[in-house]
Amino acid sequence: MIALHRVSKVFRVGPVKVPALSDVSFKIGKGEFAVLCGPSGAGKTTLLRLLYRDELPTEGRIDVADYNLTSLPRSEVPALRRAMGIVFQDAKLLPGRTVYENIAFVLRVLGTPRPEITPRAFGALKAVGLSARAQAYPAQLSQGEAQRAALARAIVKEPMLLLADEPTGNLDEGIASEIFDLLKDIWSRGTTVLLATHQAALAERLNRRTLVFQGGRLVKDDG
Amino acid sequence: MTASVLGFLAGEALRDLVRAGWIAISSVLLTTLSLLTIGGFWVFSTNLGDAVARWREQLRVIVYLKEEPAPAAVGALMDRIRSEGGVARIEFVSKAEALRRLKRELGAQAAVAGMLPNPLPASLEVTPRASASTPDATGALIQRLASMPEVSEVQGGTEWVERLAQFQRLLQLIGLGIGGVLVLAAVLTVTTATTLVLYARRDELDIMRLVGVPEAVIRLPLLLQGIGQGLLGAILALLGLIVGYRLARPGVEPLVSLTLGLPHMTFLSGTAIVTLLGSGALLGAVGGWLAKGRS
Repeated sequence: MIALHRVSKVFRVGPVKVPALSDVSFKIGKGEFAVLCGPSGAGKTTLLRLLYRDELPTEGRIDVADYNLTSLPRSEVPALRRAMGIVFQDAKLLPGRTVYENIAFVLRVLGTPRPEITPRAFGALKAVGLSARAQAYPAQLSQGEAQRAALARAIVKEPMLLLADEPTGNLDEGIASEIFDLLKDIWSRGTTVLLATHQAALAERLNRRTLVFQGGRLVKDDG
Repeated sequence: MTASVLGFLAGEALRDLVRAGWIAISSVLLTTLSLLTIGGFWVFSTNLGDAVARWREQLRVIVYLKEEPAPAAVGALMDRIRSEGGVARIEFVSKAEALRRLKRELGAQAAVAGMLPNPLPASLEVTPRASASTPDATGALIQRLASMPEVSEVQGGTEWVERLAQFQRLLQLIGLGIGGVLVLAAVLTVTTATTLVLYARRDELDIMRLVGVPEAVIRLPLLLQGIGQGLLGAILALLGLIVGYRLARPGVEPLVSLTLGLPHMTFLSGTAIVTLLGSGALLGAVGGWLAKGRS
């Protein structure tokens, strides 16, 4: 599903070169659940941005499903992204729309037939245990609920791959644990999950393959 | 793209237009003003063009003859003039016919004309072909006719018609110039309105990009919004032109009839109306497309 071969990424800040990833190689199989672990600045977010083609690697080759991201034309990036769901630390919900509308919005802009929108949106809300809050606005949600809504929005289009970038970064341990359980539920239904987190203890409790990053290098892979 | 996505995006475009508020209203009004200016000049120029065309049709070159030719020689003389080229029609006016016409024009004073020996020369009224009714071509024709031995004098010319045609072209240029500046201002205002909408919707657009909506679909509501503003401006301009024309016509038409010799004023043709509306939509589309946002 995911293959990185000697991938490096260097950002330029004016004349200064800032290395974010150095010579990273690994493979993640279809249906696998892997955790990218490491402190802030380890390169986890950069790696995820490379995977959804928000950035191009400076060196190396990245393959996601059937896409070679290094040579993928810009016009095909939407097709790649339609195959994946993405969640961030900040839930990025649209403030002027209810939870249900936030999820239905994705289906509508992707051209889902109208009769399918409501059942699918409520199916996703049910999967994250948020059906009762469907008509609430993001400002009325707790941080944990907002992250659940973001997860529902990510899975409503039934992606092959779910990328989660510090989804529990703002949450206390109990709620973070619930979100991790949700991610495991999603994985158990066949979605490949790649979770980036700095919460090593929580990640350990997941008991899944862990890739540890430090200073842009992959220092440990227990897979 | 399915019809439901298109419908949804059109709805979003309408919502954006409302969201843009005063800036959207000002871009619609600027579009109206620019197209009203161009349309106003267009109506005036169309009528002037009609007058020029009418006058070109009525243009005559009068060839006065030294002697009245014998009836049998008139045909040969007309054939020789026709062979000069650029001639559409020729009418022979004998001395007697010229006197009859004078008497008709003099009316009550015709008795005076009847007491004198007929002083009027016979003449030929030559109508140049439309293609030859330019100052140069008519001047050349007049020169050729004047050099004929039977001819005493040639009168006629197109300079004044041409001057009017040049005035019409100048008027079109002034209209296009003023309208062009206003169009530019309208495009910039539509662009600003759309950029503000882009800014207001940046979170939505980010989500759309993240979930894999193609860039063209993301920009479509912005384009539709621009087209909507431009088209609305054009419709208002057209309504303004129609109302203005109807109000001004009773007062202006007699003046136009007196000065330009046009029996009736005309409004814009169907093609011109479609062009005006299309220009508004295009102007809005360009403004919407030029709006910059994160991509």
